[in-house]
Amino acid sequence: MGFETLFSAVVELFVGGSILYLLAGVMLGLCFGVIPGLGGTTALALLIPVTYGMDSLDAMYLAGGVMGATSFGGSITAILLNTPGTAPNAATCFDGYPLAQQGKAGLAIGASAAASALGGLIGLFTLLAFIPIAKQVVLTFGPAEFFLLTILGLAAIAVSVRGKLLRGLIAGGVGLIFAFVGSDLISGDIRFTADVDYLWDGIPLVPTLTGMFAIGQMMELALKGGSVAKEGVGSAALTKISGVGAGVWSVFVNWPTLLRGSVIGTVIGAIPGLGGTVASFLAYSSTVQTDRDPDSFGKGNIKGVIAPESANNAKDGGALIPTVAFGIPGSAETALFLAILVLHGMDPGPSILLYNEREIYGLIVALTASAVGASLIGLMLSRWLLLITRIDVGFIVPVVVAISLTGVYVLDGRMADVLLTVVMGLLGYLMIRFDYPRLTLVIALVLGETAERSFHQVQMISDGQALNFMLARPVSVLLLIAIVVTFLLPIGRKALTTRRNRAVSQP
Amino acid sequence: MTRYLKLSAVAVAALAAGPAWAEFPNDDNITFVIPYGPGGGFDTIVRTYAPALEEALGATVVPENIPGASGTRGGQAVYRANPDGYTIGIFNIPGLTVSEATERDIGFPLGEITWIANLAEEQYAIAVKTDSPIQSVADLCATGQPIKLSDTGVDSTSSITAVISFDILDCPIVNVTGYGGSNDTMIAVMRGEVDATLKPIGSLAKYVESGDLRYIFTLTDSTAIEGVESAADIGHPELAKFTINRVVGGPPNMPADVVTALSDALKVATESAPVQEWASGTGTSLSYLPADATTAKMGDLSTFYAQYKGLLAPK
Repeated sequence: MGFETLFSAVVELFVGGSILYLLAGVMLGLCFGVIPGLGGTTALALLIPVTYGMDSLDAMYLAGGVMGATSFGGSITAILLNTPGTAPNAATCFDGYPLAQQGKAGLAIGASAAASALGGLIGLFTLLAFIPIAKQVVLTFGPAEFFLLTILGLAAIAVSVRGKLLRGLIAGGVGLIFAFVGSDLISGDIRFTADVDYLWDGIPLVPTLTGMFAIGQMMELALKGGSVAKEGVGSAALTKISGVGAGVWSVFVNWPTLLRGSVIGTVIGAIPGLGGTVASFLAYSSTVQTDRDPDSFGKGNIKGVIAPESANNAKDGGALIPTVAFGIPGSAETALFLAILVLHGMDPGPSILLYNEREIYGLIVALTASAVGASLIGLMLSRWLLLITRIDVGFIVPVVVAISLTGVYVLDGRMADVLLTVVMGLLGYLMIRFDYPRLTLVIALVLGETAERSFHQVQMISDGQALNFMLARPVSVLLLIAIVVTFLLPIGRKALTTRRNRAVSQP
Repeated sequence: MTRYLKLSAVAVAALAAGPAWAEFPNDDNITFVIPYGPGGGFDTIVRTYAPALEEALGATVVPENIPGASGTRGGQAVYRANPDGYTIGIFNIPGLTVSEATERDIGFPLGEITWIANLAEEQYAIAVKTDSPIQSVADLCATGQPIKLSDTGVDSTSSITAVISFDILDCPIVNVTGYGGSNDTMIAVMRGEVDATLKPIGSLAKYVESGDLRYIFTLTDSTAIEGVESAADIGHPELAKFTINRVVGGPPNMPADVVTALSDALKVATESAPVQEWASGTGTSLSYLPADATTAKMGDLSTFYAQYKGLLAPK
């Protein structure tokens, strides 16, 4: 293992003035994270040409700074405005925003900062531990396992929407329909595009998510008026903004939640095509499902902030597992990181750890420093950030709408993306009004493509004997069991409560 | 309003008069269109060439990513630009050639593009898992069932090459497509879910070097790798026609002197130290062709792929 390389990367960071690149990355990552529509991938894509003239290690520090900081930045907007700053923060809204409405935004931000930093560290330590066996790990997950993981994700969606099962299923179904627009990845056929060539590459995630959450939420806020933190709710407490310390502490108290979130984040992060949105959602829903009091979620349970936030930082460590093994990306961000290496005349492949050890460990060090640094900076700024919840929404709405639409336009310079964002915004607003879960739709959109593609692949690989093929693979069998358990758990719990209620009422 | 009219009249006059006093390439920046997003193979080669091209031309070269619709959107942007040499682009060849052969609408006639230069050309090879008992294409075709290959998409160049060349060899295949990138297709071979994969030699090299894969065949008209059978060895030298190219072109009807200036500058850039260094580091085979040779090659490729129209047409 490359401990010397790791050590020298740490030394170089602090000695050579490279820390300035890292700081620049962190600040940029926080800003891109906070702004809905802009995320880590946008920031990195915009930075790629800039890194051309830099030393490759400095480019890594810059990229690592951005990657480590965006998800915490995004949680700030999620908590304060119910608008995830980046896709993976969507799950943080569920409990983060209710806390903000109750005047406890400080608690939520503190918890998010600590969970992000610790989740990031756990993910990276897991990565370091896995480096020696990374190749075997990657070779264990084939199309069969990818398919079952997407089904597990869809199963988790289906059972996660408590009391709104039908609405959840409808939203998920619409998400799947959206996922199938564009060219079929296997046959190359163009489907459901209504002769619009913009749709050839499918319905893109970022405009959909920004529309659904940022624009939809701003419509809701604008029509409601007032400010985010409800008038009168703890207004005395609000004048002296506090709770940040308690939020940080809550992460240590709820360490099983932190650990579960981080493990789920690392595992899902390692699966190409799933990414942070699915990781944080699964972390959230599994925390709800296994909690003794699942009904307290969605109303401001701090564990509902800790789980997704630890997962979406831990996923960066996981996403590097396929990278160190074979030089393949585990996430959109690592794909751009590999692109930076290519631009510097390197050729990432299975020998990446042999030839690019310096860059890989540089990135790991940068990610570690960034996860902690972003949280510290965030905590320092939190006093002022919290004031956002008390500003009249009349000032917030135009700013957020303008910035998010610009953000969507910046990525590819396509007006059609902006149009799609507005359309999705209307749909998002209608979903808020009629109480349909928006995240369910988005997750189904993410999972649909991988599910369809890997199912087709399994069919071809197994000569049409998909089920037999899966049953012969141990990891597939484990995943099949997990899917069955996910479906049975809520039913079992319901039966248990009914019996208990009956037992209570009978004597 | 009148003010704007006057302004635009002045602008039009300036544009019309432009070529009269300025000489290419001194009165504007050169936009180099990349039809894919940042970070891919097309993006990298353009960004590597850009500084060397700037030096050779004495003008600023600005790479611009116009991604979308499988590289056709960027191609359309170049097609529609003014043919003054200030907008050029890199083209997905033979991807677009095949699209045109199969009558898929790419939004512009590929034959009208002014070809400026060919920068790089890559040939293909077939590889299996290192410990596989298969030693040659003959072994591969003799397993008694269709060979499973891995690929990214059905319209990818390597997939098209696989379909046509195994048809020429009269050897049935199942091409398992949908893998995320060419690296993933090679990992699929290592996992054992497919028998082999057909990929550019440069991409396979990394995995052969790391001991994960082994070459069994090259689609070349002479021995390309010591001890590995070539297409000529089995009596099918025509398989060497399958290549992947990085070709630079511009809008239709560009003036000949501008084409020559650009094409010469690209030659100088190809020979420059930074480009050569980058190519050897990444296993890219640079293969410069001037404008007339490139145009002839593009014509050849169109005829070549047109013969296989029936095989490639969407079912």
